Amino acid sequence: MYLESRLQFLRDSQNADGGWGYFPGKQSWLEPTAYAMLALYGQSAAETAVDRAWRLVASWQVADGSVRPNGAIADGTWVTALFVTLACVRGVQDRNTARAVDWLLRVVGAEHSLAMRAFSYFHLLKTKLNVSHEGWPWREGNASWIEPTSLTLLALKKVARGHGLPELAYRVREGEALVLSRRCSDGGWNCGNPNVFNYDLPSYPESTAQALIGLQGRSANELAAPLAAARRFRSQTKSSLAKAWLAIALRCHHEALDAPTEEARSCDEMLAALEALAHPDGNWRLLAEEGRA
Amino acid sequence: MNRRKFLIASGAAIGGTYAGLKLERQPPIPDGPVGSSAVSILRARSYSEDLVSRMLEGIRQCGLDVRGKRVLLKPNLVEFDSATVINTDSAVIVAALETFRSLGAAEVKIGEGPGHRRDTWDLADDARYRATVPRFESLFTDLNRDDVSPVSNFAGESQFYFPNTVLGADLIVSLAKMKTHHWAGATLSMKNFFGVVPGAVYGWPKNKLHYIGIAESVVALNRRFRNTFAIVDGIVAMEGNGPIQGTPKPAGVLVMGRDLVAVDATCCRIMRIDPEKIDYLRMAADLGHIHPARIEQRGETVASVQTTFALLEEYKHLRLA
Repeated sequence: MYLESRLQFLRDSQNADGGWGYFPGKQSWLEPTAYAMLALYGQSAAETAVDRAWRLVASWQVADGSVRPNGAIADGTWVTALFVTLACVRGVQDRNTARAVDWLLRVVGAEHSLAMRAFSYFHLLKTKLNVSHEGWPWREGNASWIEPTSLTLLALKKVARGHGLPELAYRVREGEALVLSRRCSDGGWNCGNPNVFNYDLPSYPESTAQALIGLQGRSANELAAPLAAARRFRSQTKSSLAKAWLAIALRCHHEALDAPTEEARSCDEMLAALEALAHPDGNWRLLAEEGRA
Repeated sequence: MNRRKFLIASGAAIGGTYAGLKLERQPPIPDGPVGSSAVSILRARSYSEDLVSRMLEGIRQCGLDVRGKRVLLKPNLVEFDSATVINTDSAVIVAALETFRSLGAAEVKIGEGPGHRRDTWDLADDARYRATVPRFESLFTDLNRDDVSPVSNFAGESQFYFPNTVLGADLIVSLAKMKTHHWAGATLSMKNFFGVVPGAVYGWPKNKLHYIGIAESVVALNRRFRNTFAIVDGIVAMEGNGPIQGTPKPAGVLVMGRDLVAVDATCCRIMRIDPEKIDYLRMAADLGHIHPARIEQRGETVASVQTTFALLEEYKHLRLA
């Protein structure tokens, strides 16, 4: 019932253009569309709906290979990683997927610039941030953060299954190093800034989950503390979104979790999709790693 | 070229949440607009007092007419921590809703787009907004994930996207929390406008604003949205390592006004912070009044409610002499 109620909500709330909004009747965005597509993937009743959504998402790719977050926005962003993940799940290995991958390989968080590394070297930053690694920003020209870096790692690891590109392997290593370098002192991750003015900042449950998804394949020993933080968060968090991300992350790390029973009480389409994905009978495996760079 | 200019020229200004630089600059403060601005300070020692009558009094003192207007209340909703004073108190939102409705607003909505946490609805739940604001679900918009439209020439960007709920409002009321801030010195009614920038376009945090510059973004947002009013929740404020890890500071005031520069300058003086040392206020001096001689203080005087807010060591230089 838990899973079917979410899937039915998604089937009922698809927009006429083929996408999903964050909320019913709102503009289609790539992010909720991507998670809805993953949640519905493989369901015969939703096959046409998912194909329509893919056509919409593909139409949002722009000349530089990146993908726009919605049809009203001119330039591509971090959601390009979700496009690549979708392409891999659908087995699409065409020129457009390659262009999107090239864009992801080209984009580097701006804190890695020579100038910022120099400022960091001379302790001119307010933070203890390690700027030596190459991650991914929300938007090109900005700094790297945990969520876009982790979701890009997931996408590139899926791509790496079929390719031996040295640049891809390098960026995966760098991205993982960046994520690992930004862990908070309490064991998890926040958006990407663990310390300001020598004050430790707390981690967030959803960021911790996303980092763990991006770090799939790293050793259990290396991830013992973050996994413990994720388990702790799962029992404490008041955020439905975080609960869904944590369940997906822990399942991806081979942890057996009970099926949730809470009735859906939200009209949040992205949350419904993530909750469907997170269910033990849901499609969470589509966010599991498939091969290493 | 000084170090700051070098930083900007090099394109390396990472700014904001994790890369503000320890640099100082003190350009002269430009002249403010012609005339003076009314700012109302009203005492409220707890959230259980009659806040509606205080808001009605403050709005009357500041000469705001909201009849027939579509009003958007913009609280400061930041973090899951109902035991502390991070977020604008729900009682302030309930009172503002009733106040603006009673004054004849055509519609009163509530919208917020938190900077770091993505689960806005559960955040609102935890802050007791859902439990205490009648019909909250039909009034509230998550501005991070609202439909958006482009706006030309914002902060040097040829195109910038804002939520349609914000663009469609006739009056935006900044229901800010009075807090110290470990990047801006203080966060009050003007910085609260960071929450109108959509995370779905600019991320969590809204890192684009950090690249524009925190102070520059605060000013640009307030320059773009001029039909505004401020009600700053200083009933129980935050001092020290704000805006999240600070400690509660009972200041016992609501501060209101149409000139948000003057409101924030007044709040700073109440907190015993020198507003002329807050970058965004210096840069916004053409939008409103900072100098006390140009601010018509209504209700209480600053001196009668002034209370020293603890500052991080790095911000001790902001202390009002």
